[in-house]
Amino acid sequence: MRWVIFLVSLLITVSAFAEQDKYQFDNNEQAARFSELTKELRCPKCQNQNIADSDAVVAKDLRDKVLALVKDGKTKEEVIDYMIDRYGYFVHYDPPVTPATLVLWVLPVLIVVLGFGFIVLRQRKASVKQTWTTEDEALLAKLIEQNQRQEQN
Amino acid sequence: MNRKLLALAPLLVFVLLCVFLYQGLFANPRELQTGRIGQAMPTFNLPDLMDESKRWTDTDLKGEVYLLNVWGTWCPTCLAELGYLTELREQGVKIIGLYYEQGYDPDFDGQFDINALRDDVTSMLNRAGDPYQFNILDLKRTLALDLGVSGAPETFLVDKQGTILLHHTGDINPRVWRAKFAPLMQELQQ
Repeated sequence: MRWVIFLVSLLITVSAFAEQDKYQFDNNEQAARFSELTKELRCPKCQNQNIADSDAVVAKDLRDKVLALVKDGKTKEEVIDYMIDRYGYFVHYDPPVTPATLVLWVLPVLIVVLGFGFIVLRQRKASVKQTWTTEDEALLAKLIEQNQRQEQN
Repeated sequence: MNRKLLALAPLLVFVLLCVFLYQGLFANPRELQTGRIGQAMPTFNLPDLMDESKRWTDTDLKGEVYLLNVWGTWCPTCLAELGYLTELREQGVKIIGLYYEQGYDPDFDGQFDINALRDDVTSMLNRAGDPYQFNILDLKRTLALDLGVSGAPETFLVDKQGTILLHHTGDINPRVWRAKFAPLMQELQQ
């Protein structure tokens, strides 16, 4: 029993990270801001990596600049604006609403609205009251009678 | 009639999607809209590549239409465009080089040999053509960062007032020149 517990315990692993940053900060808040920013800013050279991830020269330069700005006490928005000033909206993974990007925001909403509109319209059409006259009643009775006769035969 | 139109809707959506995606085939993802277009040249004070006692500032460059070409000897595409840029210089286009040194890292100061770099630059320009009036050395890539440069080669077109009109990423060849630069240059000369 004891060694069963031992074997089962081997299946449970805990990952440990020894993280030693080469960047030095005055306080934890600055460190958090730096790490947030380098994950949110996009490398202009290797386009599908953020600047924390990329080894490109420009990514390192941007990291160093973010570090300097954060240490200067700049807020997150100020650093992002600084980068957008130079590298355009491309450099931030969260693009703002501009005429060029409007379609990204409008299209999904439009599709949902149109889809629901279509469903509601169909529902309404289907639930319109049908007319039922005495002639229809007579026809129905006749058909039932015919059917019963066929079954008897 | 209405029903027929409705039946055609998926086809219409499909065709629109095709047009959109087809256009995407020819879009260049490296073509970035950077932030500096329409703005003034950032202020800077940097040494000449060949003579560190000489310094260049943004005000020195005002008064003439010029191209600012970001390049480096480490960059093969820069080498490829030197010939055509030299042709442009012979046609009277003023081209200023911004030397983008990739090997220099401020964190490892002192590893950099300026004389070796100068030899490298001189031999390359002798071989492939020298389009530059002069070269500015941006060792720490501070001006490059202020300009939104992500690598080399990149070229800026700047007017007499020092306003950046164009930021081109990639090499300059006759096709790019005709399509992007020539119309603006013509406008500026009028």
